Amino acid sequence: MNPNDTPGPEIPPNPATEPDTAVPAVAPPPLEEPLPENPDGKTLFEALLRRPGALADHLAKGESGKVTRLFAGIAVASFMLFGFVLGCFAKHEQLWASPLKVTVGMVIAGIICFPSLYIFTTLTGARVSLHQLGASLAGALALAGLLLLGIAPAVWIFAESTNSLGFMGWLAMAAWLVSAGFALRFLKSMVAATGGRGKGPLTVWSVVFLLVSLQMTTSLRPILGRSDDFLTNEKKFFLQHWAETSGESLPVEGSRR
Amino acid sequence: MTLRELIQPDRRWLDRPDGKRVVWVAGAAALGLACYGFSVGIWRAPLMGFYVAVKLPLLVLLTLVCNGLLNGLLGILLGSGLGFRQSLFALLSAFALVGVILGSLVPVTLLLAWNAPPPDSAAAATSHASYLVCHTLLIAIAGIVANIHLYRLLAVKAASPAAASATLLAWLGGNGFLGAQFSWILRPFFGSPGLHVQFLREDPMRGNFYQTVWRSLERITDGNALPCLIAIGLIAAVPVINALRQQHQK
Repeated sequence: MNPNDTPGPEIPPNPATEPDTAVPAVAPPPLEEPLPENPDGKTLFEALLRRPGALADHLAKGESGKVTRLFAGIAVASFMLFGFVLGCFAKHEQLWASPLKVTVGMVIAGIICFPSLYIFTTLTGARVSLHQLGASLAGALALAGLLLLGIAPAVWIFAESTNSLGFMGWLAMAAWLVSAGFALRFLKSMVAATGGRGKGPLTVWSVVFLLVSLQMTTSLRPILGRSDDFLTNEKKFFLQHWAETSGESLPVEGSRR
Repeated sequence: MTLRELIQPDRRWLDRPDGKRVVWVAGAAALGLACYGFSVGIWRAPLMGFYVAVKLPLLVLLTLVCNGLLNGLLGILLGSGLGFRQSLFALLSAFALVGVILGSLVPVTLLLAWNAPPPDSAAAATSHASYLVCHTLLIAIAGIVANIHLYRLLAVKAASPAAASATLLAWLGGNGFLGAQFSWILRPFFGSPGLHVQFLREDPMRGNFYQTVWRSLERITDGNALPCLIAIGLIAAVPVINALRQQHQK
């Protein structure tokens, strides 16, 4: 056994080195009020934004089914609406195709990254069940969706006033990265509330999730521009696709690209 | 046995290497590595996917079996506090963790294979290089996590942090040295776009990993492989020595 691990007597503060009025370096975080037994949608929504710790405690009680359904519903509705705003850029068939593709893309990204989320979360030391984690991921996606909805009016203004595919693409990407940042922060706080300590595994997973979500923009293309095909068979990495299309503009009415 | 027990082992994990537990851990390693191997090879061809699904668990098995005696001896000599069975179980647990991590990323790597320009396309060379880099990164991440995990297992049993570090480095050196050669013999794993899909290349025992690396290095550095190798060794040693020093100061 490592002798350093053995608990020793508490060392009194040294008056020569300690200030007279010692204050704790970091104030302890305020305790979050627990959620009621059967929280309504409004309470869960509020907890999603303000009290992730209380939400984690609630999920730990095994009451994750209703929460997952609610958050998944919020996420799907939000992505559909944001997708519609993106579809307003090219209009026509993209008014229904973009919402569908944005939503399907996010759902697929969530599903294919879920197994690794469980493993990487467990690597942090968190003791979280699959149901709990499913609800947390749905919550993170719901939060991202809500933030995208918040940015949507600004995106719509640009969608109506520019023809540049590159500009719209980067604007949508920036909106997604900001939203995803908050979503991942929420996920991190949920993991911390269930005992997760290490940052590394979740950081690696976050990078993987972001890369997968960005690849979806290329796999399900076109999302912004127009095409005769609903989906393309040509395989590309997203960086290559973005580099090739960032200089393009929306074709004039009547022609297709 | 659950996945959580494997990923978050308690302090007595290495005390109980009974048959059932060993079979479960070996099964987890084989399944995870086989699924990941399939996702690696499928970009070249579905048949290549099946080949790599067999070869990746085989690579680990061969390395563990051939180095089993050496690892057990080193564990005892360097003061790890582990016997032969426990040494083997510790290494198997670390490989199982690699398998579980890589296995959990299979949906992502299948997406990567599905989206990469195919081997018969004009962009095949770039695609192959990107594919190689992505998988190397994933394997490196899984390897780092597994070695940290292995160190924690060793630290519980070892007489001192120095003994745990020495055992880990000795195992890493031995397994890395032999594992690299086995990976050479069992090639191809990724499958170069211009070459046939095969389980093993013709005459797989011909040549060795280190000679090939040496020749490549000589070619790249215009005959200055030795100074280049020394520089790489020194650069690689700095973070390892720092990490060890910090660990021992705790």
